[in-house]
Amino acid sequence: MKAETRNACAAAAVLLALCAVPFLVGKFTIYLAIRIMLLGIFAVGYNLLLGQTGLLSFGHGAFYAAGAYGLGFFGLHVSGNPLLGVAAGVAVAVLLAVLVGYLCVRHTEIYFAMLTLAFGMMVFSLIWNAREITGGDDGLIGIMRSPVSFFGLFQIPIGTDRQFYYLVLAFFALSVWAAHRIRQSPFGLALAGIRENARRSEFAGVPVRRYRLAVFALSGAFAGLAGSLETLLESNARPFMAHWTHSAEPVLVSLLGGLSSLAGPLVGSAIFVAMREIIQRFTENWMLGFGIVLLVIIMGFRGGVMGTLSGLFRKPSAREEG
Amino acid sequence: MGEPLLTTEKLSNHFGMVCTARDLDLRIERGVLTSIIGPNGAGKSTLINLLTGHLPVQAGKIRFQGREITRLPIHKRVRLGICRSFQIVNVFPELTVAQNVMIPVLARTGRSWRAFRGLSRETAALGETEAFLEKVGLLKERDTPATALSHGDLRLLEVGVALAAAPTLLFLDEPTAGMNPVERVRLLDNIRELAREGRTTFVVVEHDMDVVFSLSERIIVLHRGEILCDGTPESVRADARVREVYLGDDVSDLFRYREE
Repeated sequence: MKAETRNACAAAAVLLALCAVPFLVGKFTIYLAIRIMLLGIFAVGYNLLLGQTGLLSFGHGAFYAAGAYGLGFFGLHVSGNPLLGVAAGVAVAVLLAVLVGYLCVRHTEIYFAMLTLAFGMMVFSLIWNAREITGGDDGLIGIMRSPVSFFGLFQIPIGTDRQFYYLVLAFFALSVWAAHRIRQSPFGLALAGIRENARRSEFAGVPVRRYRLAVFALSGAFAGLAGSLETLLESNARPFMAHWTHSAEPVLVSLLGGLSSLAGPLVGSAIFVAMREIIQRFTENWMLGFGIVLLVIIMGFRGGVMGTLSGLFRKPSAREEG
Repeated sequence: MGEPLLTTEKLSNHFGMVCTARDLDLRIERGVLTSIIGPNGAGKSTLINLLTGHLPVQAGKIRFQGREITRLPIHKRVRLGICRSFQIVNVFPELTVAQNVMIPVLARTGRSWRAFRGLSRETAALGETEAFLEKVGLLKERDTPATALSHGDLRLLEVGVALAAAPTLLFLDEPTAGMNPVERVRLLDNIRELAREGRTTFVVVEHDMDVVFSLSERIIVLHRGEILCDGTPESVRADARVREVYLGDDVSDLFRYREE
């Protein structure tokens, strides 16, 4: 109970601070904050799959791209309404995730990871090669940020990054809240059971494959949401969103921040984006610098940054011996 | 003869050249506490694995309460009411004792699909979970992670997780293996009491002959994938072929005290 209240207070404080950010910092930092939140949405959903259910996917970039292109096509051909566009993007991502997931969830571990990698790269090359439709390596360009409106009742402009920031913040808060609820729910417990012991879960009466598919689609929805929002941010959708290097980002940030907590992937996202920005100032080969930092964190911080921090703050009496 | 709960028809299984089940025609009756015994390699584990869906059936049929379940996946058999515990502890290690038991409770009642409702609000499931923990004597350990339990408590949890699926037919695979005498007596008393309640029919695979003869109303002796003998403890004890198998093949088995 106490821990719950403390976490709720911390979440409220972070939300307040995030609301204040656009008033305190410059344009570029706002842009970075948006990027952190987008990666955070991506990773917090992805961690329902990796941290909660124990499935390692290397193909979630495909669903990110599905969200991005979904919003892009919707925006270019149907309606510029960003909320409808995001809904369309998420829907396309979920559809693709159900399709890919259906073929992948009968396998586990390395086979599952390799299958998702293969499907992810298939999506990438489809986007890359279908030039007439997707714009190929140029991507889908010229997607506008029309004002948010709700059946013409009201209109909120999101044209500037400062305005757009609040839309992203709203979706970010919603995503984190949803992920939190899912982790604490009976469904979340069933997922944890599957992670801990899939065979026993079946003997507990849990249809393991269906649960895996459900959480796969769910994490695909988060990826699609992040992807569609990035398209609005950058006003284009790019094939590299589906590339496996992008699929690896939520894996990296989850490891960085810690797999076992809700905050882990979020903290990891902040570290990832900030560090990339800083290292890029000094060297072209930012991956090299990042690799070293990642190495230190994985070897030095067991359970990621959040895992280590919560270990430090825990009372010594609560710590287990041996 | 009582009401048949589960029947098999010419159930067979081979691992390469080794036959672990040969044309088994089995009939498990409701409410009769049955034990399956046999020397090592007799096919006891294979039989449980076939009946619960752990192993695919190569030949033959399985019926449960009149319904054919030969090809049904594990979780569907569990929902119909067939469950098992494992010889080697097979629980959810990083979860607490209460969470371990709650998973089958929620799954059975179809509540595990609820994704937006806090676990703490599932009061009915929590109550049921506590009742099961009380039954196996683990209520005081409810918030302990399974990995931190003693071996005996883990065995109790193993049985508790199986019981929480509220099965009609429950297979216990060496439930007392590695337990100390006190824990063993407690668990056996538990099983007897639950069997008397009548909701669950127990089928126990055991090595410990004291356990088998004190617990069972019916004993099935397997040998090389076949039923060698089937009857009351007295008739099995008196059976010449059973003596021969145990004395001839593996005399230590009959009175062996399991240590793990």
